[in-house]
Amino acid sequence: MMLGGLGALIGAASAWPVLRFLSPRATGGKADTVTVARSDVKQGDAHFFQYRSKPAVVLQPKPGEFVALSAVCTHLGCIVAWQKQAGEFLCPCHGGRFSAEGQVLGGPPPSPLESFPVKLEGDQLKIG
Amino acid sequence: MQPVKWLVEFVDVRLGIKEIYQKELKGYLLPRKVNVWYTLGAVLLTLFTIQIITGILLLMFYVPDAEKAYASVEAIMNDVPFGWLFRMLHVVGANVIVIALLMHMLSVLFMNSYKGRREFTWLTGFILFNLAMGLCLTGYLLPWSQLSFWATTVATDAAGAIPLVGDQVVEFLRGGPTVDNQTLGRFFALHVVGMPLVLLGLIGLHLFCVKRRGISTPPFGEDYREPQEMPFFEHEKHPGGIPFFPNYFVKDAAVIAFFMAFMLAIIFYAPGLFFPETAFQRADPFVTPPHIKPEWYFLWAYQTLKIFPSKIIGLGVQVAFMTFLALLPFIDRSRERRPAKRPLFVTCYVLGILLFVAISIWGHYS
Repeated sequence: MMLGGLGALIGAASAWPVLRFLSPRATGGKADTVTVARSDVKQGDAHFFQYRSKPAVVLQPKPGEFVALSAVCTHLGCIVAWQKQAGEFLCPCHGGRFSAEGQVLGGPPPSPLESFPVKLEGDQLKIG
Repeated sequence: MQPVKWLVEFVDVRLGIKEIYQKELKGYLLPRKVNVWYTLGAVLLTLFTIQIITGILLLMFYVPDAEKAYASVEAIMNDVPFGWLFRMLHVVGANVIVIALLMHMLSVLFMNSYKGRREFTWLTGFILFNLAMGLCLTGYLLPWSQLSFWATTVATDAAGAIPLVGDQVVEFLRGGPTVDNQTLGRFFALHVVGMPLVLLGLIGLHLFCVKRRGISTPPFGEDYREPQEMPFFEHEKHPGGIPFFPNYFVKDAAVIAFFMAFMLAIIFYAPGLFFPETAFQRADPFVTPPHIKPEWYFLWAYQTLKIFPSKIIGLGVQVAFMTFLALLPFIDRSRERRPAKRPLFVTCYVLGILLFVAISIWGHYS
C-alpha cells in the first residue's frame, strides 16, 4: 500500500515536468489588434491575414462596410474559401457554407465563424 | 571442417542454438490445414522491417523544420542517389502495411481465431493496428505538403469534440493554436522514436501471446473439432502437424515475395497511386485546397464526420465502432468458430465490409 502510494507520488512528480515540457508555450507579443490597408480590401473581395496566430479574413460586402471574421471553419479547422460569385464562404474539407457575415448556411459546421470588430481609421482598417 | 559448420559448432557449444532450432523451428508444429492467411503475420514483420530500414535512411537527409522539410523531401526525391526508391518504398510500404493489416484482421475475424482464450492476442493486435494508423498519420505530416498540413489540421481538430477540455487537447496535440513548426517537431519525435519503440514492444507481446497460447486450427472441414477448454492454462498443441521450418517457412517466404512484387509493381508502374496532387504542393496555412481528401484508409472516418451533423456524434460513432471491435472477443462468447455454423456473424461481417467500402467510395467522390 505504502509502496503503491510512493510509486504514484514518484509517477506524478515525473509526469508534471513532462506535461509542462509538452504544453504549448504562451505566444506573447501577438497583437490583439491588426491593421490592414483599406486598399487591400476591394469591394466584394476577401483579404486574408493572420490574427491571434490564426488565419482571419476581412470583407467589404457593401461600399464602406467591413466585416472581419475568423477564417477557421468551426467544424474541423480547415480554412474557408471566399466564393465571390455566390457571395459566401465554402469550407473545402467537408463542404460547410457560411454567409458573408459568418452565419452557417449549410453543411456540418456547428457554429458561425467568429467575428471581430473592425474600425476604419483614415485609410487603415483596425481589426480587433 | 567447413567454415560454416565450424561457426555453427562454435556458437552451439556456447549458446545451444541447435536445441533452439529443434524445439522452436523444426519441432514447432502447426495445424495440418493451416492456410495462406496465416502467413500475414510474417508479411507484416517483413514490411515493418522495411519501414525501419528505409526510415533510417530517409532520416539522414530529412530536415524536421517547417521552413526546410518540403525542400528536403524534394531533394531526397530528385537529388539524392536512389532517394526516390527509399522514399517510395517507405510511402508505398506504409499503404501496403495497412492493406496487410486489414487482411490479417479480417481473416482472423472470419475464422473466429480470437476465440479459444485468445483475447490478449486480439487486443494486442488491435492496438498494433491503431498504432500503425498513428504512424501513418504522424508520418504524412513530415513532408509538409498541403496534404500533410490539412490532414493533420482536420485530424487534430477532431479532438476538439471532447467535452470541456477539447480546445486544450487540440492545442496540446499541435503544440500551439494551429499546425506549425511545434506540431512538426512533436509528430517527428513520435513518428521516428516514440511510436516505433511502442510498436516493437507490442509486436513482441503479440508474438508472445501467439506462441504461448498456440496457433489456432482453421475452422474448416468435416474433421474440424473444437479443442476442449480446460479450467487452467494449456498450450494448444498440434501433434502430427507440419513443422514451422522448413515447411511453413517456405509458404511464408512465398507470400512475402508476392507482397514485395506487389509493392515494387506499384513503385515502378503506378508511382502516383498514393500521391494526390496536394502531396506535391508546399503547405500553405492560408489556403485549404479544394476537394482535399485524406488517405484511402481514413476516407471512412472523413465521410462519417461529414454524414453526421454534429462533430461529437460523428466522432462518437467512430469511437463506439472501434471500441466494439476491440472488445469483440469479450462480447462474442459463443465457442463455435465454423463460419458455416454462424450465419448471423457472417452476414454482419460481409455487410460491415460492404459498408466500409461504400462509405470510403462515397467519401472519395463526395
